[in-house]
Amino acid sequence: MALLSVSDLEVKFFTRRATVHAVRGVSFDLEAGETMGIVGESGCGKSVSSLAMLGILPRAGRVTDGEVRFGDRNLLELRDAQLRDVRGKDIAMIFQDPMTSLNPVLKIGRQITEVLTKHMGMDKANAEREAIEVLGRVGIPNARDRVDDYPHQFSGGMRQRVMIAMAIACHPKILIADEPTTALDVTIQAQILDLLRRLVEEEGMALILITHDLGVVAGVCQRTNVMYAGRFVETAPTHELFARPRHPYTLGLLKSVPRLDAARKEKLDPIGGAPPELTMEMQGCSFAPRCTYATQESRERTPELQRIDTKDHLVACWNPVPDQDLPAESSDEWAAR
Amino acid sequence: MSIAEAEAAQISLERPSGLWRDALDRFRRNPGALVGVFLIVVFIIAAVFAPAIAPFDPGKQVGPLATNPQGPSEGYLLGLDEQGRDLFSRIVYGARLSLLVGLVSVLVGLAFGLILGALAGYLGGWVDFAIMRVMDLMLSIPGLLLAIGLVTILGRGLFQIMLAVGVIQIPIFARLLRGSILGQREADYVLAARSVGVPGRKILLVHILPNSIAPLIVQGTLAMATAIIEVAALSFVGLGPNDPRFPEWGNILAENANRLQESAHLVFFPGLAIVLSALGINLIGDGLREAIDPKLKS
Repeated sequence: MALLSVSDLEVKFFTRRATVHAVRGVSFDLEAGETMGIVGESGCGKSVSSLAMLGILPRAGRVTDGEVRFGDRNLLELRDAQLRDVRGKDIAMIFQDPMTSLNPVLKIGRQITEVLTKHMGMDKANAEREAIEVLGRVGIPNARDRVDDYPHQFSGGMRQRVMIAMAIACHPKILIADEPTTALDVTIQAQILDLLRRLVEEEGMALILITHDLGVVAGVCQRTNVMYAGRFVETAPTHELFARPRHPYTLGLLKSVPRLDAARKEKLDPIGGAPPELTMEMQGCSFAPRCTYATQESRERTPELQRIDTKDHLVACWNPVPDQDLPAESSDEWAAR
Repeated sequence: MSIAEAEAAQISLERPSGLWRDALDRFRRNPGALVGVFLIVVFIIAAVFAPAIAPFDPGKQVGPLATNPQGPSEGYLLGLDEQGRDLFSRIVYGARLSLLVGLVSVLVGLAFGLILGALAGYLGGWVDFAIMRVMDLMLSIPGLLLAIGLVTILGRGLFQIMLAVGVIQIPIFARLLRGSILGQREADYVLAARSVGVPGRKILLVHILPNSIAPLIVQGTLAMATAIIEVAALSFVGLGPNDPRFPEWGNILAENANRLQESAHLVFFPGLAIVLSALGINLIGDGLREAIDPKLKS
C-alpha cells in the first residue's frame, strides 16, 4: 500500500469577486522513500495542492473534494489538533523563500526545539542537544555556537539549511519541498539539492519536490508529474518523461528552455498564449487553446490520465505527441545543465 | 596580543546578539533620545525622592498669605502661591502623581488594546468586525470629552482618572496592533510554523506578537505624554485628583489660572513641568521608533 495516497483533490478559493478553482482533481500515490517531482508554471496549483494536504491553506481556500490517505487516516477529515500532530512529525514542508520563512525575532535553535518539544516530547536540554545535532546534519558549521544566532545572521543558503533542519528534526516520513532552490543562487542551489538527495537516502524519507525548474526534477526525482491548470496532465518515471514526453504541454516546456549548446541562430520555442483563468469552469482539455495538436474532441471532452507506452507512464491527452516529434535529449543531459 | 587572541576579539566584536541589542545601540547613538532620557530621569528622581528634594511640605502654609504672592525669591526657589505654599515643593511632589497617572493609564490602555487588537487581528471575521466597530465608535468621540464623561460617571478620584484616560487610549492601541498583526499573519514564517504543527495559540503568542509589538512600544511612550497632558486637562477643568495634600501639575495650573496676569510664575512653572515631561517622553518615543522600526534600518 502506498505511503500517501491522494485522490481527486479539489481546492477552491472563495473571494468576494470570484471563485478560483485552483486544484481540479489531483490524484497520485507516493511510496515510502520515493522521490517525486511536481512541475508546472506559476499558478497551476502545485503549492496549493500540498498546502491543502497538510490543512494549511490560506483563509480563503477550501478543499472541496477528494481524499488524502496517509496510513489508515484521511488527512482531510482529521480535526485540527490531530492534523497538527501529523504536520512536522510525519509530513514536513519547506518553503521557497528562506529569507522570510524563519521568524526574525527567534533564535534559530528555539525554532527547532519548538518542533522537538511538541512532537517528540523532549525536555529543553534534550531538545537543544538534538537541535545542534540536526543543524550539524544539514551542514551548518559550528552548530553548537550558531543555535543562539538569529536568522538575520545567516546567509540565504544557510537559512534554507536551517529550514530543512526544522523540517527533518522529527524524522518525517515525507518531506514536501516547495521550490526549495528558487530563491537561491545557482551554486547554492546545487548544494541544497545535494543535501536533499543525501537526506532522502539517509533518512529513507519520501520527497515531493515542487518546482518550475526541469533541471531540478531531472537531477533529483524518480518520478515526475506535470501539472497544468490545476490538474496532472502527465506522469511518468523522470527519464521516461524527458525522453518521451507525450503531452504537448510537457513537450512545450522542454522545448522552451534555452540550451547552452544550441546553435546561435536557433530560436527558442515558447508555448504560445497564456494559461487559462482558473475562475472559469473549463470544457474540454484546458491546454487545447494553446495546443498545436488540439482537435474538436480536445475542445469538447476533458481527457483523463491514461496509460501510454509503459505501465508507469500516464498522460491526459486525446492526441499524444507522436514519435517523430519527440526531442533527442535524455534526462541525464537535463540534470547536467 | 597573539593572533588567536586577536581573532577571538574580532569574533566577539562581530557577534551582535539580536534585534533588541541592535536597537539599543541605535537608540544610544540618537542625541534627541538621550536628551529625552535625561529629562525623564530628572522627573523620575524628583518623584521618587520628593521628600528629600522638596524643602517644604507641599500642603502646608510656609509663607505669608497674599493676593499677589511673591515670585521666585530667596528661600522660595519658584515663589509662593496665594495660600503661602512653596511652589517648588508642590511641583516636585506633583511629579509623583503626574508620572504615575501617565504610566498607569497607558498600561490600562495598552493592556486592553493589546488583547482586543490581538483577537481582532488574529481571529478576523466577525470578531474583528465587532471589536473594530466598537473601537471606531470610541474614536469618534473626542478623547477628552470621553474622559470627562467617564469621570463624571465613575466619580472623581485618582483611580477613576487613570481608568478614564486609559480607556480613551484603547482604540489607538487596538487598531495599531491589529494592523501590525494583519501584516504578519500571512508571513512565510507563520506558514512555516504551521507546517510543522505549531498550534494556533502559540503561533499568535510566540511568533506573531513579538513581531508586531514594536510600533506599540513606540505608541506607548507617545501616549504617556498625551496621558499626562490629558490628566492635567482634566484637573484644569476641575475633574482631577482633588486632595490638596497631593498636588498634581494640572491641578496647580488650574488653581492659579486666574492669576496669570499678576503672578505669572504660578502658571508658568507647572506648565513648564508638563511641557518638559511630555517633551522628554516624546523624544524617547521618537528615538525608540527610529531604533526599532525595521523600515528605517540601513
